Formats: sequence, structure tokens, C-alpha cells
Amino acid sequence: MITIEHLAKKFDDHQIFSDINLEIQTGEIIGIIGPSGSGKSTLLRCLNLLETPDAGTITIDDQQIVAPHITKAQRLKFRQASTMVFQQFNLFRQKNAWENVAEGLITVKKIPKDEAKARALQELDRVGLAPYANFYPEQLSGGQKQRVAIARSLATDAKLLLLDEPTSALDLELVGEVLQTLKQVVLDHPNFTVILVSHELGFVQEVASRVLFFDDGRIQEAGTPDEVLVHPQHERTKQFLARFATQTVHN
Amino acid sequence: MPKLIDFKLILTNIPDLLQYLPITLGIVLLSMVVGLVLALGIALVRLHKIPVLNQIFTVLVSFVRGTPLLVQLYLSYYGVPIALRYWNYYNHTNFNINHVPAFLFVFVAFAINEAAYNSENIRGALLSVDDGEIEAAETLGMTGWQILRRITIPEALVVALPTLGNQFISLIKGTSLAFVAGVIEMTAEGQIIAGRTFRYFEVYLSLAIIYWALTVITEILIRLIEKRINRFRVAQHLVGTPAPTETPIVGAQVLASKEVRS
Ligand SMILES: Nc1ncnc2c1ncn2[C@@H]1O[C@H](COP(=O)(O)OP(=O)(O)OP(=O)(O)O)[C@@H](O)[C@H]1O
Ligand SMILES: [Mg+2]
Repeated sequence: MITIEHLAKKFDDHQIFSDINLEIQTGEIIGIIGPSGSGKSTLLRCLNLLETPDAGTITIDDQQIVAPHITKAQRLKFRQASTMVFQQFNLFRQKNAWENVAEGLITVKKIPKDEAKARALQELDRVGLAPYANFYPEQLSGGQKQRVAIARSLATDAKLLLLDEPTSALDLELVGEVLQTLKQVVLDHPNFTVILVSHELGFVQEVASRVLFFDDGRIQEAGTPDEVLVHPQHERTKQFLARFATQTVHN
Repeated sequence: MPKLIDFKLILTNIPDLLQYLPITLGIVLLSMVVGLVLALGIALVRLHKIPVLNQIFTVLVSFVRGTPLLVQLYLSYYGVPIALRYWNYYNHTNFNINHVPAFLFVFVAFAINEAAYNSENIRGALLSVDDGEIEAAETLGMTGWQILRRITIPEALVVALPTLGNQFISLIKGTSLAFVAGVIEMTAEGQIIAGRTFRYFEVYLSLAIIYWALTVITEILIRLIEKRINRFRVAQHLVGTPAPTETPIVGAQVLASKEVRS
């Protein structure tokens, strides 16, 4: 279970959010939607401590951090509770696909290289990229890169998956394969908790168990995909969805 | 026609001079290694703007870049003994200044010189590293040191290597000044030979040939290293055409299953 209490973050004078409260049950798939610049990424990055919150507490299962005073050791340990998939993939470009996946296993989990490689190949296989194990990122398409990044995340064994617009840097024809992979990940790991920030409203509707509409540093509306995406109550949600009217939100 | 140049001597000088090649290379390698470590330290201090040290290093780098190497060698030659005397005085130790090997003065001067020149280059290279990769490493739970060693430095090296290579070559040539601090390396030995034979031109020509060869060999080595660390930039034609593999693509089969999660 994940509990976020009174979470606050500002950059310089710009208050991104000041009081986020959220409780997420294990196994939930949370879809976060909302306008650009509303702080969705910042929230996700706080959960992984890529950004240090100014105040508030985050509890992931038995681990709790109280911002902003977080020790180095706490930070390293807390980070391992979750894993992040980035919009820009962020693969290690000097490492080939399996080395990318194995990196955390070797350095963080101290698993011997052979074993780490075997595990990496297994994870690459899951995302359908076993034949590309020796390819460097520069040899892969955007969709393949993101699937390697997903494999890298899965290899960490973290039970909380943070996905920050995993398909929005992709060419349209490559979005499908990544969404397909993500759907499979979700099916394969029913015990994973997933927080997905995405503008792919159709996909959010399909996989999410709960949807949050984020705006102005606040969770403006929350509910089932049907409640938020099809029958929104709040004016802002309606306005936001109207702008995405071209996208398929199935009725 | 008078014999103005003794061509044979140019060649026969070379083996004699090469006996001092280990000294030259010793100075080069030791100063380079220590200089690079110092340079990385200076670059990190300046990148993280660590107070006091940052200011000290900024001045040091400016000073080293703004003064001739020859003058720096003299400063080391006369300065290190003074520093030792102070050390003896305040710590009540009794190091004998006369027992300090000349090599040390040279090494100190060259290492600091290398550190100063390389630190700027390394700082720029570190700045060029993609933040995304560092963040990815952070989310994996890697420590700062692991990230530096496994991600940041290898990435920065790709950018820094050409300039580091040039600096390395300058250092090889710069060692010819070591004689002023009393170290007998190749150039100093050349002067001794010339003093004996009065064949100055021949000796310096021999030296020139040796330094030139060293530089060319170094350039080849640097190019090999460059090739090695750029191996991730593989030919683009491989894109999308994986090598045939025996491994069945299990993922694809699983994808076919149409189970829906409740
Ligand atoms: N490191 C930073 N320093 C200063 N400001 C930042 C930083 N990161 C984000 N911001 C600002 O914080 C605000 C929220 O950014 P954030 O990336 O969280 O929004 P978002 O909801 O993810 O938007 P998008 O849909 O465009 O990804 C933006 O105004 C952004 O400019
Ligand atoms: Mg964002």
C-alpha cells in the first residue's frame, strides 16, 4: 500500500503542489491525466525521490520517508521500492540492451554478472526483445528502446511501477507495441501497483482501475475510468477532456 | 665537401637516448594518472560549487594556465624544499631536503599542470552527460559513486578523449623541460652526449625523431581507444535486423493470450 500525506513541492517560487493526499492499494493501476505543467511528472518524481519533496510523508509498504530530511541511505533504499519508466527512455547509451537491464542487478543487487545476464535476457524476452539483447540503444527504434527500459524496470523487482508518459516521445506507429507490452506487464504482475501518467486516454481507460485528474497541483477529480473519463463531474475535467475529444474514449 | 652533418651519428645516438625513455615515460604516466585524478576532483568541486575549494581551484587553474611550464618547474624545484622545511618546522619532523629525488619536483609540477589543463576539459565533458541516464541510474538505486564510475565517467570520456589525447601529447613533449629540475631524461641525456661530442645538431635531430615517433604511436593508441569507447555507435544498418537466434520469443506468445485483469 502507498500512502501520500500532505506532500508539497515547489521550484524556487513556483509552488507545484502544496498538499497532495493519496492512498493507493497494492495492485491498483492508477491513471493520472491532466494538463501540461500541472505537476504530474513532479509528483511521480517525488515518489521516486528524483525530486526531494519540501514537506509531507510518503509510505510505500513498510518504508516511510518524511520530507525534506532524508538521509542518503534512506533515499537509496526507498528508491528501490519503486521503478520508473521515462518519457525519453533514458537508456544507458554505452550499454547494449541486456547490459542496460542487468546494470541495476549487478551494481545495486550485487548479483554475479552471469546470473544478471540470464535474468536480463529473461526480462528482454518478456518484452519480446530477446533477439535484440546485443543491440545498443542507437540501433533500436523508439518503441524498442522503451521496451528495453520497461524490461530494465521489471528486473529491479520493485512492486511499484511509475510510468511517466511512456509513449509520448514515440512516433505514432510505435505507440501500439509499447502499450501492448505495458498491458502484458500488467497482466503478468497482478501484484504490481502501477501509476501511469499518460495522454493516451483510451489506454488509461482500458487498463486503469482508478483515474485521477490532476490540475493546478491538485487532484481535482478521482474515480473509476468510467466516472472520470466518460462522466466527469468537474468543469475542468470536462474542459480538459473536450480538448482530447479527437481521442477515443470508449463509451 | 666538408662533413657538416654526421648522419650515422643521428642513428647511433638513438639507442643511447632511448635508455632514458623509461624516465620520460615514467614522468608522463605518473603525472598523467595523478593529474587526471586531481583533474576529476577539481572538476567535481567546481561543478558542485563546493565553497572555498571552488575558489581555490579556480585561481589555481587560472594560474597554471597563465604561466609557462618552465617557470612552474622552477617554482616546484625551489618551492617543494621550502614547503618541506615548513613541514619540518611545524611538525617537528626531520626530512632531509637533499634526499628528495629530483623526480619529485618534476612530478609535482607536471601533475598539477595536467590537472589544471584537464580539469576544464573534464568539467565540460561531465556537463555534457545526459541527465536522463543519471536519473535512470538513480532510480535503480545506484550510489553516487557507482553512477560516477559506471555511467558519468564513461559517457564523459567519449567527449573528453580527443582533448585529453592532445594534452597527453603536450605532456610527452613537455617532459623535455624536466632537466631544469635536475632529472636526467632523454633530452638531458642528449645534452650530455652533445657536450661530449660537440655534435649538437645531430643529437637534437635524434631527439626530434624519437619524440615524433612517440607522438605518432600515442596518436595511434588514442585512436584505438576512441574506437573502443565509441563501439556503442555501431553501424545504423543493423537497425531492426536482429541476428538469428535460437531463443523462442516467449513474450510474443504470452501477448497472444487475451486474459483481462479484473
Ligand atoms: N527542475 C525544475 N526546476 C524548475 N521548474 C520545474 C522543474 N521541473 C518542473 N518544473 C516546473 O514545474 C511545473 C510542473 O512540471 P511537471 O513536469 O511536473 O508537469 P507535468 O504535469 O508533468 O507536465 P507535462 O504534461 O508537460 O509533462 C512546470 O511549470 C515546470 O516548468
Ligand atoms: Mg510530465
